[in-house]
Amino acid sequence: MGIITVDKSDHLFWLGRYTERVYTTLKYYFQSADKMIDANPEYYGEFCRKIGIPNAYGTREKFLRAYPFDETDPNSIISSLNRAYDNAIVMRDYIGTETMAYIQLAIDDIHNAKNGSAALADLMLTLDHILAFWGCVNDMIDDEQIRNIIKLGKGLERLDLYLSLDLPDNDVRREYRRMKQFLAKSKLRYDESVINTVDNMMTDDPLNHPNLKKLLRNLINE
Amino acid sequence: MKELIKNAETINRLLARYGVKFGIYKDGTFKEQLFPFDPIPRIISNGEFQYLEKGLKQRVNALNCFLSDIYGEKRIVRDGVIPEEFIYSAKGFLPPCDGVTPPKNIYSHISGIDLVQSKDDNWYILEDNLRVPSGASYPMIARELQRRSAPDAFSSNSVIDNRNYADMLKEVMDYVNTGGINVILSPGRYNAAFFEHSYLAEKTGAVLSTGKEIVCENDRLYYIDYLGRKQRVGAVYRRISDEYLDPMTFYEDSVIGIPHIFEAYKKGNVALLNAPGNGVADDKGIYYFVPKMIKYYLGEDAILKNAPTYLPYYEDDMRYVLDKFDNLVIKDVAEAGGYGVVFGSSLSKEKKEAFIQLLKSEPRRFIAQEVIDFYDLDILGTDGTQVPRKADLRAFVLTDGETKVWPSGLTRFSRNPDSFIVNSSQGGGFKDTWVLSR
Repeated sequence: MGIITVDKSDHLFWLGRYTERVYTTLKYYFQSADKMIDANPEYYGEFCRKIGIPNAYGTREKFLRAYPFDETDPNSIISSLNRAYDNAIVMRDYIGTETMAYIQLAIDDIHNAKNGSAALADLMLTLDHILAFWGCVNDMIDDEQIRNIIKLGKGLERLDLYLSLDLPDNDVRREYRRMKQFLAKSKLRYDESVINTVDNMMTDDPLNHPNLKKLLRNLINE
Repeated sequence: MKELIKNAETINRLLARYGVKFGIYKDGTFKEQLFPFDPIPRIISNGEFQYLEKGLKQRVNALNCFLSDIYGEKRIVRDGVIPEEFIYSAKGFLPPCDGVTPPKNIYSHISGIDLVQSKDDNWYILEDNLRVPSGASYPMIARELQRRSAPDAFSSNSVIDNRNYADMLKEVMDYVNTGGINVILSPGRYNAAFFEHSYLAEKTGAVLSTGKEIVCENDRLYYIDYLGRKQRVGAVYRRISDEYLDPMTFYEDSVIGIPHIFEAYKKGNVALLNAPGNGVADDKGIYYFVPKMIKYYLGEDAILKNAPTYLPYYEDDMRYVLDKFDNLVIKDVAEAGGYGVVFGSSLSKEKKEAFIQLLKSEPRRFIAQEVIDFYDLDILGTDGTQVPRKADLRAFVLTDGETKVWPSGLTRFSRNPDSFIVNSSQGGGFKDTWVLSR
């Protein structure tokens, strides 16, 4: 393809971010839902605090229903998936019909899960199709630049979520290293001073998650 | 055929998977809708296709001659073949295009000609679409999927492969390209035909743009990437209407056009497919004159007939229209997409009187046509039985160094048993169109 405009790079970047947001928050939702069965029924409050969304749910049941499926809630998983679709649909000519289809299938899955009798189990299919989407990005998109921008979005979102969720420092360091590879390859404009500072902070033990998160949010000049 | 019918649901599911949708606005809200696909194809024998091909090429060649003439010497007006009032009052006649010759002197590169077949087996042209005819992508992708789900139906029926449309389109873009990349210019995601724009961009390798990334400098167009690098644009297959194409020349409030693109085009620095101003040739009033154009420019009789048409503008025709009002269909020349179509027999007494007053006060605004009792094609009903429905055919005719007819087309059908309106925006569906190689 060869030519990527500012708008298109933005769509690719956010396509990566939103698909990752769906993937990681859905996985965290599964773990949290399990905790809420017997260990800690009120865990959804902690979930909201960690993810950084208002706890407007009131009850465990409402949270379990609304967080994945409520399209009127901009923080829900289905809203993130719809935003991924919004970014994918305008990039058909870059990512291809086959690749785009996996976002559509993930949307179909989440709608089916919403109307099904075993929502949590059915939502597994959404994860499958997000993974298939990424597989397709690797396998079917020839243009390295396009792949790198999507992966940069994905990597940065993952890092942001791992820091929010306080995942182990080694996981954060690994994702940071990965993200940095794509940052260089994507050729997107970014703030080098942020990278220099974060590089230094990555040697700290333990890592300062809130500060890293704040800094990384200023990395890309949009 | 059984194999095709058996897999109808699978095909519709796959079409949804690939985002084969069209957008509509309902109550001010944008919605994406699936374009219902019927698995029973329209079948055109090879002999019949050859006849259609000959007639369609002839028609499009004459229409291209007409456009070249009307924005040039205007001989056809001077020679009294078409009254000048019909030219200059046509909404699609654009004075800024007067005297402008497009690259390679081609005006209509992609023509969508709508036909129906009557019960006496004759084909009639219903209308010419020479601005931004859409619909080729639907049979392209449906064919791809049907070949997967019912391969035997294709191997045993000698169906000409229609998946070459993107190659044909690319050849046309390349032929008129003035040096640079090919771009498909779309109004954006919320346009009814956005699926088609993005799909054709993918399949032709053209860049899909909403115009924001394109600038005009020194009467040349450039596409700007995210690092600020510029690439020259040589051809723009624009899927936006003339009036929105360039706010500096046409509708000044347009936010989807490219400022100064018309200047670049005028200077021969970019090809626009189709050329601006083509609307004068597909005006429903001008349609009446196409057989005369064929005679005038090509010295031939029209191979494909127009539906019998009357112009209330002419006194004799007005008398006929008033006399036979209940048997005719009246069309507002300014409308499209199945809108502005009135069947005389469907009006109440009061509405009929009001309509006739309007007709008398604005005779140039309407044409009247005999209602053609066109062939019903079988579709698969909701209960799995086959039911007959009205259907038309949009043939795609592409013009570069020569004029070619795509061996397929978009067959649209009405889902309503009492309706002649097949447009997708009014609930119609589509079928594949098979042209047999034998």
